[in-house]
Amino acid sequence: MIQDLIYIDPGSGSYLVQVIIGALLGVVMFFKNIKMYLLSFFKRSPKKQKDE
Amino acid sequence: MNEKPDALPSSFRDPAGYVFRQENIYYRLITEAGKISYDGLMNSGLYATLTQKKILLPHTEMPASFQGPAGYKIIQPEQLPFITYHWEWPFALLQDAALLTLETAKLALDHGMVLKDATPYNIQWHNGDLAFIDTLSFEPYKEGQPWIAYRQFCESFLSPLLLMHYRKHSLHSLQLGWPDGIPLQITRSLLPWKSRFSVLTWMHIHLHSRYAAKPGGQKDKTAVVSLAKFRQLLSSLEMLIRSLKLEDEGTTWGDYYTEAATRNDYLDQKEKIIESWTRELTGINNAVDFGANNGSFSQPLAAKGIFTVAADGDPVAINKLYKKIRAGNLKNLLPLIVDFTNPSPAMGLGNEERASFLQRIGTNNLGLCLAFIHHLCIGKNIPFERVAALMALSCKQLIIEFVPKEDEKVQALLILKKDIYTDYTIDAFEAAFHPYFNIQEIKKIPGSARTLYLMIRK
Repeated sequence: MIQDLIYIDPGSGSYLVQVIIGALLGVVMFFKNIKMYLLSFFKRSPKKQKDE
Repeated sequence: MNEKPDALPSSFRDPAGYVFRQENIYYRLITEAGKISYDGLMNSGLYATLTQKKILLPHTEMPASFQGPAGYKIIQPEQLPFITYHWEWPFALLQDAALLTLETAKLALDHGMVLKDATPYNIQWHNGDLAFIDTLSFEPYKEGQPWIAYRQFCESFLSPLLLMHYRKHSLHSLQLGWPDGIPLQITRSLLPWKSRFSVLTWMHIHLHSRYAAKPGGQKDKTAVVSLAKFRQLLSSLEMLIRSLKLEDEGTTWGDYYTEAATRNDYLDQKEKIIESWTRELTGINNAVDFGANNGSFSQPLAAKGIFTVAADGDPVAINKLYKKIRAGNLKNLLPLIVDFTNPSPAMGLGNEERASFLQRIGTNNLGLCLAFIHHLCIGKNIPFERVAALMALSCKQLIIEFVPKEDEKVQALLILKKDIYTDYTIDAFEAAFHPYFNIQEIKKIPGSARTLYLMIRK
């Protein structure tokens, strides 16, 4: 029972858009993670060379 | 029945409670309707976490014997020295407030609660840092519910920050026009086309505004957002806000002190005089530095433990000062964008929901008005008498600098202006302040033709 929600107008469409953004963010984060992985891979490689 | 104390004019929207003042102390009443929210905050461990991290304003519960309005509970929050509104905030302060709001929302989720209100009104200055002040902004989280405050956050924090970032101007005063947030459709139309290439800006503003323009329907009611998606939404907003910045373009007065410092030891001498006067002054309450610029003279006051508002109309100078304070951890100093000739007005319902700047600073300040009088009287054609009357309104003590007409800075103001200021003299200046103030001390600043006055209100 969340009666006090009624005093805020969350704005029509802002709930639905969160569902869509949620799905899109999954994709965005997927690619961002790949980017981070690749970056970390490139960042690590000079170190390895050093070690060798 | 207890006598009903006054609820603050700004505290009427939330049925869960309201703020009232009794014998000069602010309290918050929690009504029966706010019981679930308040108990959730206290029992979930969220209150402990938020206060431990110095995010939420701490409070104490008043005993049942406390004489106040009837309700579930009465709490006494730690008292704030001053209330400020986001139309007075420099870019970096609004950005920090947005990040603090997101951090609060994340921590709430960690404790099975949700932040239901994401507005800058809930962030205030407390002990040299920003604090979340609304104890009743939380409620129990229900699995699958979208973020009720998402649109409010995008309109009141993200919109002004993005506009300032992309347009490279401090657009703080847009918030005066839209005090509850800049509508998404307006933000979208004011943002440049290239903002669509930032995927997060596109989502949170462009896409969001397209849906927000449609009337709500069944799909809104049945929307389900998992906890993981909710967290991702908050993280993406945080990532976007962290990436924004206001380019520090040339400022009206930004280079003033670098230049002024080369004039003998004018600044040092001035600081010494002010230091010796403030050391001897008794009964200093708070201080307001009108025309503070980079805060050179407000900082020593704040360092003495005097809560000081550094007010200036130059948003770039105030933004720089704010960043300096953050970096140096200087407490007691709050830099605000306030133009003395057009201070923030009273706003909201009945023009009393949000008090004007002059109402908020009150009447008992130590005022600083340094190298400012010529900008008011020659730059803006304000008579000495009007300046004196305004200073008397807010300053119990006043340190004011008179800059004579022969000063190079005054001459610079008069290069293109016709000199109609025949009555701009030191005698006329003193005569104008005389009805309001007793002049305690007068000192010439060595190395300049300027004079400092220490005045006490009659």
